[in-house]
Amino acid sequence: MAHVHLEDGAFSLEWVIIWGLIAAALIALALYKLGGSRLPTRRMAIAAMCVAVGFVIFQVEIPIFGGLHINLTPLMGILVGPGLGTLVVLVINIFSAAIGHGGWGMIGPNAIVNVTEVLLGYYIYRLCRMRLNAGRFASGFSAASVALAISALLVVVIVSISGLQDSTQTTEETFANMLLLAAANIVTGVIEGFVTGYIVSFVGKIRPDLLEDAESPRSPGDEEQAEGEGATRV
Amino acid sequence: MSRRSYSRHIPDFRLITFYAENTKSAVHAMSPLTKSALLVMVILLVVVLTDTYLLIALFLAVLLFYVAGRLPLHLLIGWYTLPVLFVVTLAIMFVFTESGTPLLSFELFGDTVNVTDNGLLLVLKLLLRALAVVTFSLAVFMTTRYSHIAHLATRTLPRPLAGIFLLSYRFNFETSDEMSDVMDAMYSRNGGLVKEMTRQTSMFAAIFGLAFVHAFERAERISKAMEARGFSGEFPMMEHLPRPSLEGYALMLIVAALFALATYSRYVENLMVW
Repeated sequence: MAHVHLEDGAFSLEWVIIWGLIAAALIALALYKLGGSRLPTRRMAIAAMCVAVGFVIFQVEIPIFGGLHINLTPLMGILVGPGLGTLVVLVINIFSAAIGHGGWGMIGPNAIVNVTEVLLGYYIYRLCRMRLNAGRFASGFSAASVALAISALLVVVIVSISGLQDSTQTTEETFANMLLLAAANIVTGVIEGFVTGYIVSFVGKIRPDLLEDAESPRSPGDEEQAEGEGATRV
Repeated sequence: MSRRSYSRHIPDFRLITFYAENTKSAVHAMSPLTKSALLVMVILLVVVLTDTYLLIALFLAVLLFYVAGRLPLHLLIGWYTLPVLFVVTLAIMFVFTESGTPLLSFELFGDTVNVTDNGLLLVLKLLLRALAVVTFSLAVFMTTRYSHIAHLATRTLPRPLAGIFLLSYRFNFETSDEMSDVMDAMYSRNGGLVKEMTRQTSMFAAIFGLAFVHAFERAERISKAMEARGFSGEFPMMEHLPRPSLEGYALMLIVAALFALATYSRYVENLMVW
């Protein structure tokens, strides 16, 4: 797996509520940035297609290390931007919870982890392309690898702060126990980084306009806000 | 697993929908509102319950619900793979580090490592909790028709999210068919025999990249078609959502009472004295 999804019952009720509220705030912010309830049809359709493709790609097993499933959340951020990407990963989390890939009560913490991947994926890619003038493969690889490494550590932090139910271990002990998991996730994150780099290069060759938002010199999120307010894309 | 599924351990969405639309059972006849309320209560129960026997009882009750829906039990075992993997990877180290009576000891890099009873119990409880919710969730989705899920989504999610959810639900089938076709084409040309990691990665990346490009092109066509037909952001519902029956209300009341009891026992006074 490129990252572990938390299952129901791992955290106590109070932590499920706390992480759920933080995730709800992130989603509300994304909805606000996209213009509230007035999401243009084009963006809604693009988001829905991204959910469908992301969900299907996750089901494909890449025969590396005995089988690897990837989520491509940083790529979602690069392709659709941070606002829409946040909604995309939330809906993927809802679908995933329906089939047991992450718990319903854990949509909050899982969404926080995935939204972090989307945001970091988008902003690191922009940084590499706009400021460092890196190529598409290098930018995509760096964005996805760093985003997934940080999100793997975020999982460890979330679990350490919340503590596993029925465990008597302290935050520090839990943190130490989880580091092995983080290391494994970082390694698989590097493979997802390669896949993301290849995909970004591929998309850049045949439809460079799809990377326009992440590669344009405009300030991030401008396009999302403009489209959310009903402006027509030229 | 349907003919077009390409993973033995991830539930096939087409199969889930087939069972929801075509099978008949007492669970299928139950109101979607009752099933959703029960799902919420099962989630809350696994969070609040800490007693192993009660968690086993809950898991068995949920399994009974799944069987009552005339759903395939043999597939469920394969579908448990990922949730089990998630729980085990999350909690494996706790088996060795949780305090308790050592059940097994071995030497590793000069240190003695113990498998403790509390460590194993922790993993067992996490597994029971995860699998109880996974089983119930699958039972709900495999016995609830799309039109009813659409009703529930529009009632519970903010409008843009409900729109994305409902559109992507429909797109899932077309996208998975397209992906299956590409995968079939790759395997029929010996693509599956490629062992080199770099070539595997680039080959799969090209497939995924193509899927994204097609998705964007399809989304642009669909949005134009939707707007041309006067789409206003609302998805019209063609069917009414059945209200819970008296038995449904009774069932919800019983499970709610059990949840209240479990919460009281957990946070106020322990009633679970065996």
